Amino acid sequence: MTARPQPVDAAGTGGSPGATRSSSGAGTGAALPAVLRAIRPRLRWRELWLLVLVAATLIVGAISLNATVVTRGADPDLGLPSGAIALHGGPLLLVYLGALFIAHLAQVVAGRRTDEVLLPAVGMLGGLSLLLMARLPQDLAGQFGGLAQTQLVWLLIALALTTTAAIVVRSDRWLRLYKYTWAAAGVGLLLLTFLFGRDVNGVRLTLDLGPVSGQPSELLKVILVIFLAAYLSENRALLVEQSSRLGPIRLPPLPYLAPMVAMWALALGIVVVQRDLGAALLFFAVFLILLYVATARVSYVAIGVVLFLVGSWVMYHLFGHVRERVDIWIDPFSDPRDSGYQIVQSLYAFGRGGILGTGLGNGLPAVGGRLPIPEIHTDFPFAALGEELGLIGVLAILGLYLVVIERGLRIAAAAADDFRALLATGLSLVVGVQAFIIAGGNLKLVPLTGITLPFVSYGGSSLLANAAVVGLLLALSDRGVEPPTPPRKARRLARLFDRGAP
Amino acid sequence: MDAITLSLWLLRIVFLVFLYLFLFAVVRVLVRDLRAAAREPEAELGRLFVIASPGGEPLAGSVFPLDAITSLGRDVNNTILIDDRFASSEHAILTFRGRAWYVEDTGSTNGTYVNGERVDGVAPISYGEELQIGQVRFRLERSRR
Repeated sequence: MTARPQPVDAAGTGGSPGATRSSSGAGTGAALPAVLRAIRPRLRWRELWLLVLVAATLIVGAISLNATVVTRGADPDLGLPSGAIALHGGPLLLVYLGALFIAHLAQVVAGRRTDEVLLPAVGMLGGLSLLLMARLPQDLAGQFGGLAQTQLVWLLIALALTTTAAIVVRSDRWLRLYKYTWAAAGVGLLLLTFLFGRDVNGVRLTLDLGPVSGQPSELLKVILVIFLAAYLSENRALLVEQSSRLGPIRLPPLPYLAPMVAMWALALGIVVVQRDLGAALLFFAVFLILLYVATARVSYVAIGVVLFLVGSWVMYHLFGHVRERVDIWIDPFSDPRDSGYQIVQSLYAFGRGGILGTGLGNGLPAVGGRLPIPEIHTDFPFAALGEELGLIGVLAILGLYLVVIERGLRIAAAAADDFRALLATGLSLVVGVQAFIIAGGNLKLVPLTGITLPFVSYGGSSLLANAAVVGLLLALSDRGVEPPTPPRKARRLARLFDRGAP
Repeated sequence: MDAITLSLWLLRIVFLVFLYLFLFAVVRVLVRDLRAAAREPEAELGRLFVIASPGGEPLAGSVFPLDAITSLGRDVNNTILIDDRFASSEHAILTFRGRAWYVEDTGSTNGTYVNGERVDGVAPISYGEELQIGQVRFRLERSRR
């Protein structure tokens, strides 16, 4: 039996998409510069239709918000911004929707066959974030004017980053080859934060770089996924082999256990040094998921979970800040006015929301001019949305995160090699797990940790890091150049055009 | 309940309805996409992409879909015929066992190489890695869906 070679579909297999492209465009594009010749617009109807739905939803939301605010009037006791500022949310939203459609157009012009669901899903989350920020008191935070304006600026930069990555990134060599450089950069970032970071609320997370300050742990999670994907795809075959045994448990070859222990130590280090429980939990969870995806060995996950439990137990007994977090989680009502205040108020907010919610702009009565939940714009947007949109709205938001995960796994399943598959899995799950950790924290399902709700929380570092994740996912989802259409008619035409060419 | 409160309530509900309309549209796209992927036949376990072949057979740039056992060599009875001066008649066998690919050198004169390293007996090979037989270089790839 002899296999016949199939015609090549150079389709992103790392072959040469450029070659196929230039051969078909040679007849018409000879006079055009090389850059323009490569451009072949490709319509994206699904994305356009979904974006239209996003726009309609958000506009209805803005009308509902503004109508509520105007009707109730500017009541300082309600913690609402005055009517004029809230109406300001309208133009902001229009700018944001415009940017979404520009991002769509840019991708149409670029003509890559990339995913058409991710941008609308993430765009909806960003729009909800904008509505929420326009509705909160504007003096909470902000480098560029009020809260909503600053969030809009970051959202626009994030959209630009996503679109640029989706259009420009064509090769994964620069990610794959320099994996140890990436890892070193990540560790360096961690050390920098430790040495020169600024303590905010007792947590050393913020790094000031001149006028800009950011949270490196957000960037670190992207770097970590890239490194793990490169490392695991390279050593997959070796990790699957089982050479050493420890009693009844079969272990991977011992030298390859080293990164596992290193990851564990890194996670513990983040807890001890930076007091950042959320990031530690996120990193370790993503590491275990990727390890399982790469090797399909449940025993590794079991070892990881045991390591996690041991680490947690030791941490609980050694460090006060860990114990405090866990105690608050178990019984926030033991100290409802001080340490348990945030969670108690968050639970009340969900309770007030009920099934249908109080409506945008209708929730969150402030007590004595104080914000109902401290840090509501970064750590508790899920509780705020839970109050105003109710159970129904919260389920829809969780659904949007599930959509992001599904797309990531789908991209991974269709990926050309192990590295791309692991990268797509890791990128989508890092977003999903982060959303779960903070949503679970707001709901008192897991101990509360101070990480952001991806795409919704206020803050530049979080938005930019998650935008990079979506951009990379879009680039990875490229299904390559469309297979040439076989009918004879086109061939004859092509022959006509190519006549005279060598 | 007066008119203003009622209309505010309606607006709220319309917003939630739109949110779910969007989710419904997204899910419909996803389901269609999954159905389309499920319809495609999934016979091949992997594929071998020819990176370079100075002899011209196999043609550089061609792709071979792989079964669980694939033999490579200069003999016409091989699954993939390699017409190269440095290839033996029965050069190597590529097998898919369990979850991983293995390449076995079947006593060739000039050796089989995975990522530039000579294979001694059987060696694991994973997706994205390079297999060299004679002067012909292949890359093992995941089957595309």
